Amino acid sequence: MADDAAVSAADLATVDRDWAWQAFRPTAAAPWNLQRAAHLYRRTGFGASWRELQTALGQSPAECVAEWLSTGDGDSFYAEVRSTVAALWGTDNRQDLPAWWLYVMLHSPRPLLEKMTLFWHGHFATSMAKVTDGRLMYQQNELLRRWALGSFRPLLAGMARDPAMLIWLDSTNNRKSQPNENFAREVMELFALGRGHYTEADIKQAARAFTGWEVRQQIFRVNDHQHDKGEKQVLGQRGAWDGDDVLRILLDQPATAEFLVGKIFRYLVSEDDPPPALLAPLAAGYRRHDYDTAWLVGTMLASNLFFSPLAIGRKIKSPVEYAVGLVRALEGRADTYALATDLNKLGQGVFFPPNVKGWDGGVEWINASTLVGRANLAWALVGGRDARYANKIQLQKLAALEGVDTPAAVARRLADLLVAGPLPAESLVRLTALASDGPRAESVPRVVHAIATLPEFQLA
Amino acid sequence: MLPSRRHFLQATLGSSALVSCGLSVPQFLARSALAAEVQAKGTKGRGAKDNVLVVVQLAGGNDGLNTVIPFADDGYARNRFALRVPTEQMLKIDGHVALHPQLKDLRKLIESQRVAIVQGVGYPNPDRSHFRSMDIWNSAQRNVEHPRDGWLGRTLEHGRHQAGFDVPALHLGSEELPLALASRQLAVPSVESMDSFRLRTSDGSVPLSTLKTLAEIRRPDASPLLDFLCRSTLNAYAASQQVQQALVEGKTATPYPENFGLAKKLKTIAQLIDAGLGTRIYYVSLVGFDTHANQAQSHSNLLRELSESLSAFVADLAARGHLDRVLVLSFSEFGRRVRENASQGTDHGTAAPVFLAGGKVQAGLIGKHPSLSDLDQGDLKFHTDFRSVYAAILDQWLGCPSQTVLGQKFLPTPVLRA
Repeated sequence: MADDAAVSAADLATVDRDWAWQAFRPTAAAPWNLQRAAHLYRRTGFGASWRELQTALGQSPAECVAEWLSTGDGDSFYAEVRSTVAALWGTDNRQDLPAWWLYVMLHSPRPLLEKMTLFWHGHFATSMAKVTDGRLMYQQNELLRRWALGSFRPLLAGMARDPAMLIWLDSTNNRKSQPNENFAREVMELFALGRGHYTEADIKQAARAFTGWEVRQQIFRVNDHQHDKGEKQVLGQRGAWDGDDVLRILLDQPATAEFLVGKIFRYLVSEDDPPPALLAPLAAGYRRHDYDTAWLVGTMLASNLFFSPLAIGRKIKSPVEYAVGLVRALEGRADTYALATDLNKLGQGVFFPPNVKGWDGGVEWINASTLVGRANLAWALVGGRDARYANKIQLQKLAALEGVDTPAAVARRLADLLVAGPLPAESLVRLTALASDGPRAESVPRVVHAIATLPEFQLA
Repeated sequence: MLPSRRHFLQATLGSSALVSCGLSVPQFLARSALAAEVQAKGTKGRGAKDNVLVVVQLAGGNDGLNTVIPFADDGYARNRFALRVPTEQMLKIDGHVALHPQLKDLRKLIESQRVAIVQGVGYPNPDRSHFRSMDIWNSAQRNVEHPRDGWLGRTLEHGRHQAGFDVPALHLGSEELPLALASRQLAVPSVESMDSFRLRTSDGSVPLSTLKTLAEIRRPDASPLLDFLCRSTLNAYAASQQVQQALVEGKTATPYPENFGLAKKLKTIAQLIDAGLGTRIYYVSLVGFDTHANQAQSHSNLLRELSESLSAFVADLAARGHLDRVLVLSFSEFGRRVRENASQGTDHGTAAPVFLAGGKVQAGLIGKHPSLSDLDQGDLKFHTDFRSVYAAILDQWLGCPSQTVLGQKFLPTPVLRA
């Protein structure tokens, strides 16, 4: 099973699951090369610059993954960006927070942390469109970041008490005479179990357990007088449960780990539907590690499957991955207010998910409008003519192109830097023709634009 | 517009697109090219005069009880307190039901025989999850847990051999493509505004012809995902030029309300219809109906937006002479609980009214308002299955056998005049 040809002939349904989750060790048939290093960067972060790729190639894949997961780096960066956030509360610009977060994504020394924070934002999708209070949305964002690579248990407990979440789900007022079913329903359907693992009766009973959990003056509290202290039966367990008991009962269910592992697999590894048996060892391990997301993500990223053709190029970039990845690969900066607006048009307004279910992702990102929009955004970023983005990306100083002289070499280098899989020879011929057309200051942006419109570039 | 469209199709597709493309030829492109050939020979395409369906999805669960109000049922006053519409403000339709005060325009449309309201529409064993219930309405597959295609997507697949050279359906909005339009075989474009289609290629960027060539290059080892992206990219380039062309040719007629997003979308659709675009299905959403708390004002605003936007659209189409070939369907995934909650809002419910508008509707009320005393766990009992409404639209409006699309026979609700 170790060589690429054998793995490409297999699919997720037939792949050997023991092999799949063992740590990847490079071999002559499956070497640690530019393609695999770039793949790791696209999934764990948003994309790599040429220097980052060269550094990665000097390490082993295991060292790279360990570094991605380490918590040491970035304290001063985060201290600095957090110090700027309070200045945003006085304004009423809806794009303040999205712009702030996109800045963090573009420049964080810990992109995997941001990648997983974005995952949990989609999982616990809460929109500022309804919550309106930026401070509460930021508070939720920091809760997501704090546990993004920590344990799901405190994350879920924090979300059940998160003012933004409770405002979003109309659950700020929850009296025992009229239990609010909304949070109880969403925690089962969308946050923990997934559909098919609970009944309407479980929702009604769980709703009673959450009575008295309320938000007053933007602060969560438990109102003992409004809590229904009676006995409830939730998923077969009977007792005088409160909200935390219900969350414990949900985390006792194997379905919760299976649901979360399936979602994270689709986020980090492949769009293709994995058979439950393939994920079973990870779901069991996730429970055994008390829902330690760093363990789960680390296991996935270091695996044979992750570095195989069953994962490379088997995902469609989200709009954020598309744009942030392009800017990071090109060692640039961007006006993140403009970027927040443009990403919203492409279907991914961070802090403004479309509904409680978050973004469906995958092929759902792609349609005629978003593809044209992606092409336009790429040109706006690199073309130098859009005043909002002008001079933020300096292609003439690109490390990737240092010492690269001929148009053919320029085209190949940029394709190596930016595209997930090998391109057809004819594509490189066409890109070379673009690279030969006019002075380098004009041709290089056009080559990047052309690459960014390639169907291959939409793949992560 | 004929020469420019033909010119566009030749320029965009050429023969090379269809021959050298190593992929399955996108349905839309194949049909377009075929139609262009037919047109080039001087045969008028059928598409231009075909019936059009415009779906307005009211997302979040519209409170049907405060939309079409059964004022004569004393259950209304027993269950609605803070949210009760004062009797003197209601717009009475008959001795039993009245419209919400913000639906003035809609009532005028009933009087002018252009709007029908089907009451008590739902389905058996209703699901109160937004997503599941919207999936059920959109897919019209009650028992499929994860539906992959929609009732209109399947309709498009069925009709693909009929001539028609424009995008078969168009979703207007920034939200995700509604499941109703999803198909295993063809991609329905989704646009936020017409500007979303304008590929910027004038300011020194790579010309469209080059981008198109790059997308067309043969990829013999393409994964299904890459194949999908190649087809989508070509579809995007073709569809954008086509719609852009229609808009350039389209003109505006009657006024629309300025501040309503729904009105803007319907205005664009009227322009596209008037430009002779062969698109037969348009889909838009009006969101915000999930009124769990402080419902009165927000619901009022939404109903006003619906009523005034729809009214302007109907007037515009009538002025341009298209009203008799346009049918509007407006529905929500469910109604709301009969009894209001403690937050001056309402929770997820079941049956609700469905609106139809156009020149050929059987105007007025269709079916009785569900009783407010004979409830099912606090919710209204439906009497008309939504698939019966779909059956009428499929059989009698779109000319597509409803049994094929719906998987079984439903008696069509009499919403259309013969």
